[in-house]
Amino acid sequence: MDMSLVSGIVLLVFMFLLLGAGVWVALALLGVGLLGMVVFTDSPAGPLMATAVWGSSNLWSLASLPMFIWMGDILFRSRLSDDMFEGLVPWMGRLPGRLLHVNIIGCGIFAAVSGSSAATAATIGKMSIPELKRRGYSERMVLGTLAGSATLGLLIPPSIILIVYGIATDQSIARLFMAGVLPGALLVALFMGYVMIRAKLRPHEIPELTDTFTWTDRWNALKRLGPVICLIAGVIGSIYSGIASPTDAAAVGVFLALCLAKYTGDLNRETFVDGLLSATRTSCMIAFILAGAAFLTMAMGFTGIPSGLATWIGQMDLSPYALLAALTVFFILMGCFLDGISVVVLTTSVIQPMILTAGIDPLWFGIFVVIVVEMAQITPPVGFNLFVIQGLSNRDILHIARAALPFFLLMITAVALITIFPQIVTYLPNNM
Amino acid sequence: MRRLLDRVYWGSGMVAAGFLVAIFLVVLSQVSANLLDFCIRQFTGKSLGLVVPSYAEIAGFFLAAASFFALPYTLRHGAHIRVTLVLMRLPRKAQTFLAVAACFGAACVSAFFSWYCWELVMESHEFGDLSSGLVPVPLWIPQLPLAIGSALLAVSLLDSGFRALSCRHDPATKLMIGEG
Repeated sequence: MDMSLVSGIVLLVFMFLLLGAGVWVALALLGVGLLGMVVFTDSPAGPLMATAVWGSSNLWSLASLPMFIWMGDILFRSRLSDDMFEGLVPWMGRLPGRLLHVNIIGCGIFAAVSGSSAATAATIGKMSIPELKRRGYSERMVLGTLAGSATLGLLIPPSIILIVYGIATDQSIARLFMAGVLPGALLVALFMGYVMIRAKLRPHEIPELTDTFTWTDRWNALKRLGPVICLIAGVIGSIYSGIASPTDAAAVGVFLALCLAKYTGDLNRETFVDGLLSATRTSCMIAFILAGAAFLTMAMGFTGIPSGLATWIGQMDLSPYALLAALTVFFILMGCFLDGISVVVLTTSVIQPMILTAGIDPLWFGIFVVIVVEMAQITPPVGFNLFVIQGLSNRDILHIARAALPFFLLMITAVALITIFPQIVTYLPNNM
Repeated sequence: MRRLLDRVYWGSGMVAAGFLVAIFLVVLSQVSANLLDFCIRQFTGKSLGLVVPSYAEIAGFFLAAASFFALPYTLRHGAHIRVTLVLMRLPRKAQTFLAVAACFGAACVSAFFSWYCWELVMESHEFGDLSSGLVPVPLWIPQLPLAIGSALLAVSLLDSGFRALSCRHDPATKLMIGEG
């Protein structure tokens, strides 16, 4: 055992002590970095801390974060969830599994305007849980599809967590966004396929269709979806076509979201201030964690722990598959206790050199981490989607987690698929 | 005193929200300028090259200000993420003890950080460091919010620590889980 491994373990234990004692994540990261610098190096910790934090908190690309959060907060306070539900119902009635697909597609669409899976679960679930239960769908499937598909909020751009990963690992956010599209579509397809097969096998779980819809109904329904689809097309389209940087597109997104809320009559002084303050808090929380992680990464670099670990792992001569399998288990375990953003920033400060040594593409790894973190969102005891859905449905967390289990397994399938066929991730960013 | 502190936390949150709106307006005006430029080019074939000078850099500075001014306000709303899984299973007394320790420990880190931010500000001021964009901004100005915000965070952490010590209800140490 060499020195870097020992110091690494000391710092890891200290980190878990701080986190377990309920120290705020950002401050715990700063504290661990500080200890690492003071104990294991001779460098001046204070000035380096100030420089690292300053350097990581005034980035132009990071400015997209509060804008996307704000956009989601405005839409969350609008009539969007009604519109999504009413707009999707006439289209989904004929598929096996019927309105359960409203959850999946609804989450997929909302994920494209919001970067958070908790917001996605809350927005779609607010409408779909009571409506679907009233129509006699099995509660287990309603909660399961919602919990599973809401995690798409993390993967389908704009995604807060991909912005965090991009900043922390110095990857292009626009490229990460593109990389998230096909895996997101893959997950939607897997979820829908599962619901259809299950509906065929257990038809009694799905109630008969009570209302019939004509094509006129469907086109009218499309009108209710229209504004959101325009918003998505405007924001995401401008990033993909390269007209706008993610930050520009995010600001335009806020503008369009404000117009949309004004148009539907949901914008007043109260909702505006509410949304803005909520965005201020959320983005402050995330920016502070990123700042703490920036200092921790720098401190780790000074201690030489990550490169020591990378060499150590390198010497074990693992195949990339074995390394990824080990990391998957490790992330899911971490995700049981930590939120997704903390998992990502901890990863990047320690594991990044290991990934590069193993010859894994950091762009691909970003998507891999996000899907694994998504899985952690629906595993007890800490899974934010579970908390949100608990709040909406009044069922306990374990019940919801059981309902979400098939979707957890589908996500493992997705991880396996992108590992075997990395082109699913890299095709779009390399060809646009 | 209580009311004064609460006002300071609230006020710094409002300043932070103001900076978010400022980012929005700066970026939006650049986008509109691009759009206008595009239209003019379509009609006259000439580009005016309209730009909001250093807008990317300025948006970054506003972002730093927004993030740091919001620190105490976010803390008071219990919106900074922390792990409460272990805490929730501990007896009441141990919870209080850990809450006090976490507050005072975090206040020390925050004060330490703030101290060195002041030093950074002083240094930038002394050496007259300027930002590298079209409009050179003296760097100490956008660095100042880091020092102020983290100092206020230290104050609010001390405040919460003392409240936890006397077992009074406090939003910052309330056992709740932040938003993911």
